[in-house]
Amino acid sequence: MLPLQSEILLPERIAGLLGLSGTVGQIVGGLLGAFLIANLLLVQTAIAGPWAKRKITAAFTDRIAVNRVGPFGLAVIIADAVRLLSKELIIPEGVDRPAYDLGPLLVPFSALLGFAVIPMGNGIHLADPETGAVFAFAASSIASLGLVMMGYASNNKYSLIGGLRAIASNIAYEIPLIVTAASVIIFTGTLQMSEIVAQQTEPLLTIAGVTVPQWFAFVNPFAFVLFVVANLAEVGRNPFDVPEAPTEIVAGYQTEYSSVYFVLIYLGEFIHIFLGGALAATLFLGGPAGPVLPGFVWFLIKIWGFYLFTQWARSAIPRLRIDQFLDVGWKGMLVLSFANLVLTAVIVGVIA
Amino acid sequence: MSSERDTPFVTDDTQVQTETRDARMTGAGADNRFNSKLREAFGSSPFILTKFDNFMNWVRGSSMFMLQFGIACCSIEMMHTYSVKHDLDRFAAGVPRASPRQADVIIVPGTIVSKFAPRMKRVYDQMPEPKFVVGMGSCTISGGPFQEGYNVIKGAEEVIPVDIHVPGCPPRPEALIYGVAKLQQRIAEGESSPVTVKPYELEQFNDLEQDEIVDKLAEQIDEDDLVMRYNWADSP
Amino acid sequence: MSLEEPTPEDGAVEVLPTEGDEIADLLGDLVVDREEHVNAPGFVIRPDTVQETLTRLRDEAGFDHLSCVTAEEREDRYESIYHLTSFDDRQREVSVIVPTAKDDPVSESAEPVFRTADWHEREAYDLIGIDYDDHPDLRRILLPDTWQGHPLSQNYDQDRPQIVTLKEWENPLAEDHREDEGDTMYVNIGPHHPATHGVLHVKTVLDGEQVADVDPDIGYLHRCEEQMCQTKTYRHQIMPYPDRWDYASSGLLNEWAYARAAEDLNDIEVPEYAQIIRTMGAELCRICSHMLAVGTFALDVYGDFTAIFMYAMRDREKTQNILEDLTGQRMMFNYFRLGGVVWDLPEPRDEFFELIRDFLDDLPEAVEEYHDLITSNEILQSRTIDTGVLPPEVAKSYGATGPVARGSGIDYDLRRDDPYGYYDELEWDVITEDGCDNFSRLLVRMREVEESAKIIEQCVDLLEDWPEEERNIQANVPRTLRPDDDKEIYRAVEGAKGELGIYIRADGTEKPGRFKIRSPCFSNLQTLPEMSNGEYIPDMVASLGSLDIVLGEVDR
Repeated sequence: MLPLQSEILLPERIAGLLGLSGTVGQIVGGLLGAFLIANLLLVQTAIAGPWAKRKITAAFTDRIAVNRVGPFGLAVIIADAVRLLSKELIIPEGVDRPAYDLGPLLVPFSALLGFAVIPMGNGIHLADPETGAVFAFAASSIASLGLVMMGYASNNKYSLIGGLRAIASNIAYEIPLIVTAASVIIFTGTLQMSEIVAQQTEPLLTIAGVTVPQWFAFVNPFAFVLFVVANLAEVGRNPFDVPEAPTEIVAGYQTEYSSVYFVLIYLGEFIHIFLGGALAATLFLGGPAGPVLPGFVWFLIKIWGFYLFTQWARSAIPRLRIDQFLDVGWKGMLVLSFANLVLTAVIVGVIA
Repeated sequence: MSSERDTPFVTDDTQVQTETRDARMTGAGADNRFNSKLREAFGSSPFILTKFDNFMNWVRGSSMFMLQFGIACCSIEMMHTYSVKHDLDRFAAGVPRASPRQADVIIVPGTIVSKFAPRMKRVYDQMPEPKFVVGMGSCTISGGPFQEGYNVIKGAEEVIPVDIHVPGCPPRPEALIYGVAKLQQRIAEGESSPVTVKPYELEQFNDLEQDEIVDKLAEQIDEDDLVMRYNWADSP
Repeated sequence: MSLEEPTPEDGAVEVLPTEGDEIADLLGDLVVDREEHVNAPGFVIRPDTVQETLTRLRDEAGFDHLSCVTAEEREDRYESIYHLTSFDDRQREVSVIVPTAKDDPVSESAEPVFRTADWHEREAYDLIGIDYDDHPDLRRILLPDTWQGHPLSQNYDQDRPQIVTLKEWENPLAEDHREDEGDTMYVNIGPHHPATHGVLHVKTVLDGEQVADVDPDIGYLHRCEEQMCQTKTYRHQIMPYPDRWDYASSGLLNEWAYARAAEDLNDIEVPEYAQIIRTMGAELCRICSHMLAVGTFALDVYGDFTAIFMYAMRDREKTQNILEDLTGQRMMFNYFRLGGVVWDLPEPRDEFFELIRDFLDDLPEAVEEYHDLITSNEILQSRTIDTGVLPPEVAKSYGATGPVARGSGIDYDLRRDDPYGYYDELEWDVITEDGCDNFSRLLVRMREVEESAKIIEQCVDLLEDWPEEERNIQANVPRTLRPDDDKEIYRAVEGAKGELGIYIRADGTEKPGRFKIRSPCFSNLQTLPEMSNGEYIPDMVASLGSLDIVLGEVDR
C-alpha cells in the first residue's frame, strides 16, 4: 500500500539507504525500522520507569529521590533494569502455565504494535495504512487480554480481582475513548494517521500575527478533555487505577509476578502511557507539528507532557471506588462522548 | 633469583587450588555443576566473570525495592525514613512494593510474636532471590523490652536470616538509613549472603539425585506425630 | 464548654442513681457483697445474674458504657470485673464484680447486653481462662488457637515450650477456601497487607466486589504488655511500656494513662506546673498522632504515597522535633514520672517557646492545605461520605470512643467529662460531627488538631509567665511505692484514639497484682464488621483507615 502523500515512510527510507528494493527491501527496511522504533520506545520507557517516575513523584511530594547513583541518579536505570532481570523468576504452584507466561508478553507488545502507525515527525513513521487509527486502537486493546490472562492464571485471589477490574475498566473506557476519537475522524474524513496530521497543519485562525493551527484540541477542546480522561483510565492511572490499587488488592493482576515478567508488565504499562500520549498527540495536538524545533522533538515533548500529566494525577487525585469508576465510565463518559460525536457529526454535516 | 620469581605471575590457578576450588574445578565429580563451559573457557578466576560479578554486586547494591511491611513501633519510623525529611529513595532504596514477589529487601520493623512468625516466614519465602533482610530495632535483635514475654520471639533471626541489625527502640530514621547504606555497601563489596539454591531448583536441574535414605526417612514421617513448637521461649 | 460540667437541668431529667447505696437499692437482691474501688463502688454479684444486673444498670441507671472487662485470677477465685460508666456523665462509675469458682470458672456472658463484651470476654478467656456461658463465639483472640494454658493465670509456666502436633496447628500454607460451592470468595487480608496498618488479619468473604462478611483476627502483635507491667515496679519500670502501646507517637498520652491511675492509687498530688507541661506535651502528641491518621487515611483512599501522606509526615516531623527537644526522644518519650515529669522544659526556654509558637503559627496554613487537598476534593468526598456508617447507638454498644465516637455524634471526651491535668482550666471545645461516616471521622481528627493547637498555645502562655521559683516539676514521691493490698482502681484518660483506661489491683508489693489495659483501638476495631458488611472492598479499607487503629494497642 502506497502512501497518498509525498512523505516517505521509514522502512522505505532505510531500504533506500541500504540500496535494496522490492520485497527484500520492504522486509529488511520494515524489520530495521521496527527495531529502531521499538528501541527508541524502550529507551524512553527505561528513563520514564525507574528514574523519571521517581523524580516526578518526588517533586510532587517535596522529596529528592535517587541522586546517589550516577549523575542525577541516572545510573539507577541500569541498576534497576539489570537487578530486576537478574532476580529469581518465581513460578508459583498452580498457575495456568501458558497463560501465565503469555500475559506479561502481550502487554508491552500490544502497545509497541500500536506505535507502528504513529507518525513521529521527521519521517519516522513505520506504516501508514488507510485504517491507521483503527489499527492503533485495536492493537492497544489487546493489552486487556494480557491483563485478564495474568489475573486469571496467577492462581491468586488478589490477581483475580485485579484482572476482573482491569477488564471492567478497559471495556468501560475503551468505548468513550474510541467514540471520542471517531469525532475527530468525522472532521478529517479519513482514518489514515498521516492524513489526520496533515489536516491539522491548516491554520485555524490568526491572532496578532500568530497563526494557530487547526489542532483538534483547539477545534474541539471538549473532545480533547474527554479523550485524555478516558485515556487515563485506559492506562490505569489515578483516579482510575482500580486494577492495581495497591492498598486494596496488593498489586492487582501483577501480584504474583517477579523478575523478567514483572519487568515486562512494568514496561508495558509505561509504553501504554506513551501510546496514550502519542494517540492524543496525533489525533488532537497535530502530531509532530510545532514551531522552531524539529517535528520529532515536538512529538517527544507531547508524549512526555502526557506522561507528566499521568504522574501528576497519580500524586494528587484520590482513587475512585470501583462502582463509581464504572458509573463514571458508563453513565458519564459514554453519554458525553456520544453527545460529542452526534454534535460533531451535525456540525460537520451543516458546514459541508 | 630462583626460577619461580622469573616466571610472571599468572592466574593459572591450577597451582593454587584450595579445597573448594579443587572440588569445583578438577571436576573430580563432587560438584560438577559449577563447571560451566564458560568457566572452563575462562579459567577458574576469569577476568570477565569477575568483572561481571562486580557489576552485579554494584547493581544489587545500588538499587533495591523494599517490601511495604509494617509490624510495630519501628514501622512508624520506617515510614518517616521513606518520606519527606529523610527520603530513603535518595539511596535508590525507596520504592515500597506491596507484593513480596517484587521486593528485594524486607525491613523487619518490630516485635515478632508467636502468631506472626510463621506468616513472616512465609512472606520472606515468597520473595525472590537474591533477597536481603534488615532487622530494625531491638525487638528484631533480641525481643527488646518484651523479651521476657510469654508470646514474644527473641529476635527475627529465630525465623529468618538477617543481614543487618539496626539497634534502637526505635532506631532513628538516620540509623535506618545508615543500616540500609551499610547493607548496600556490603552487597556492593560482595560480602552479602550468597544466593540460596532451593531444593526445587536442584531437582529441576537434576542436581539432586534420588537418595534412598532420604526417601525412606520421608516415608517414615507420620504427619499426625509431627510436632511444632512456637513458643521460641528458650530457643538457642 | 470546657469549664461547665454537663449538669442535667433540674426536673427535666430524672435523677439517676449515682451513689453506691442508690445503686445497691436498684440492684436489690442481685448484690451479694459490696466492695469499694478507688474510682467507683463495686458490687459483687452471682455469675448467673450478669445479664440481668447489667441490663438493669444500663436501662434504669443510665450506665450505657461498658468501658472495660477485667479478668483476673485471685488466690481463691476467678474474677471478672465489668467497669461501667455513662456516656453522658463520665464521672458516674460502677464496677460489677463477678467471682467464679476456681475449679469451674463459668460466668454468664455480657455480650447480649453490651456488644463490646464479645471481644473483652474472649480476651479474658484467652489470657485468664474464664469460660463465658452464652458467649456467641468463645475462642482465643490474641494467642494462636493451639496455645496451651492461659498465660496470665497463676501457675502458668511460660518456659514450657508450646508443642502441638502439626495437624492441630492451623497451617498458614493450607488452602484457604472456606467452601467449595457458592458464589462468595474468601480472602485473607493481612496480616501482611498494605492496608491493614500493621499486622491485622481480616478474614473477608467477598461477594464480587462487595464485602459479605468481615472478621478481624488480631493478636499478631500481642507483646504481653500486661505481663510486662505486672512484673515491673510502679515507680520507674512501668513507665517506658505505655509509650509502646499506641506507638503512633501518642506516647505521652499513654504515659498519662498510667500516671493518672498510679497517682490516684498512691494519692500523689501532681504540681500544677508539671500538669501544664503534661497537658502541652500530650496535646503535641495528639497532633502528631492525628497527622499520621490523616496521612494514612489518605494513603488508603489515594492508594499511593502521595503528597498528602508526605505533607502529613512533614508536619509530624515538626511536632516530633518539638517533642524531642522536650523529652529527648522522637517517639518513645518516657517523660512522665509518677508525681510529675522527669525534667523541666529545655533551656533556653525562649527558644523552645519560639519553636512551638512557630509551629502553631504555621499550623492553620497547613491545616488549610489539608482541607484544600483532602476534604474539599470531590472524589474523596464521594468516596467517604455515607460510607462506613456507624450509628451512635451501635457505637455506644461497642464501646467506641475517641474520634470514632465523636464522628458518630457522641459528645464524649474524657478531657472534659472526667477532667484531669490542666484541661478544665483551659478554653477549648469538644469536636463532634454528626455524619457517622468515614468523612466525619476524618473531619473530627482534622478539627481536633486545631483544638489541640489552642490548648498548646494557652499552655505556652502559662508556662512563659510562670514564676521561676514555683517551677515544681515533681511531687515528693517515695522511692518505692507499695499501695495497700487489694486496693483497686480503674482510671482512664483521653488517648489519641479514645478512652485509654488502666485497671490496677495492688497486692501490697511494689509491683501491680493485676495490670489491665483498656485499649480504645480494641473496642473501636470491633465496629469494623458493622461498618463494612455490604460495602465495597475499597470502603472497607477506608473504614479501617478511618478507625485509625494501632495494632500495638489493639493487641497489647
